[in-house]
Amino acid sequence: MPTLAGSGTLIRSFGLVLSLAYGSLIVWTYANQPRTMAEMTGGITASVGAYRIDQASFEDGLRYFHSDKFLEARSAFARADPAKQDATTQFYIAYSFLRQGWGRVYNDATLMQQAQATLDHAIEVAPGGRISVKDPNLTLTSSDELRAEIARGLTHDSSDLNPLKVFRGRP
Amino acid sequence: MATTPTASSPPLLTGPTIVDRAARARVVRESIMLPLIFLTVAFGGGLRVTAVSRQLVFLPPSLMALVLALLLLGALVRTGTLLPEVLMRPDRAPLANASGLIVLISLFAAAAQVFNTTTPESGLLQFIVNLFFFLLLWNTVAAQPDRRRMVSSLIVIFGGAFVVKYVVLAALYDPNGGLTKRVLMTMLEGVTLGGLTYQSPAPVTGYVAFFTVLLFLIGVTLLPARAVVPDLDDR
Repeated sequence: MPTLAGSGTLIRSFGLVLSLAYGSLIVWTYANQPRTMAEMTGGITASVGAYRIDQASFEDGLRYFHSDKFLEARSAFARADPAKQDATTQFYIAYSFLRQGWGRVYNDATLMQQAQATLDHAIEVAPGGRISVKDPNLTLTSSDELRAEIARGLTHDSSDLNPLKVFRGRP
Repeated sequence: MATTPTASSPPLLTGPTIVDRAARARVVRESIMLPLIFLTVAFGGGLRVTAVSRQLVFLPPSLMALVLALLLLGALVRTGTLLPEVLMRPDRAPLANASGLIVLISLFAAAAQVFNTTTPESGLLQFIVNLFFFLLLWNTVAAQPDRRRMVSSLIVIFGGAFVVKYVVLAALYDPNGGLTKRVLMTMLEGVTLGGLTYQSPAPVTGYVAFFTVLLFLIGVTLLPARAVVPDLDDR
């Protein structure tokens, strides 16, 4: 039978663990600033390795992405990863912004900036800070290559005046 | 005439059992209830829901909120509402001292977040409300009220600030107008808002703030008074 002092120690230990867990959750929330309840719950489950994306929506997104329907693709990817915690899905969203904003004559700066912001977030949530995708339909299969291409898209220099630029391949 | 206890006497009414139950209740309150209450206040105090996009924003306390929280803790100690020596002292068990430390840290965080939630986020109004808090707390420390009056004073301070921010200012800056705004504007005839800017959050923020302030006041009321029963783990 537990003694009274033993039960006090048990209660205090339980309270301590509970307080530390709750405190950590609060610090995580204020540090990560989730904007929706889905992002909040997704972030918490991701931090314990229990976050899963909606695979069917992800497949839909891939199909749209490969047929150049970027708005539809982003909508499906957002449904697949509502908490924005899956690095691969966020990589594809960034890639869709890049492909939509890329042009033979000029690039859409707004879409390029969105690509950069999404890729930055994808790298943030990726384990080890690096993303590598095995997709033979992609020209750029790593976060490093995608980041460099986005940076090139956002840079304006004398090479923009080169008329041969219209013949370059799409990333 | 003294009576001897019989086999049919209810055992729970004996002296030591009541003392043990009181001691256990104290441990539960100090180790579980108070930290949970104050951490919930610390969590809810910075929560805002934007009026337009309905997005969650978690605002950490400003530096001024931290200063005011420290001043409030000082006032709580001076008035005997908070007794740090009851929560932490050398002759207590290390685990009991750790519990006490958690209560003190969470109380400080909660106090900072209560100031955060009852103060406008920016501009001249924020300065005015912060000054109002500072003077009121200074006055409270100087007056040195007892525990009961200190809690009453906190109800007035935070209740007043809550009404100003979430009822008066929210109504005055409500883009859709409303009865409260019309009544206030009639009462303040001839006065214009001029350059005073304020951005009203979504109404749900007000409800969260209300329960946050209420929970904080409940937590302050539950802070342990001077111990009459020794700790379970100190025996």
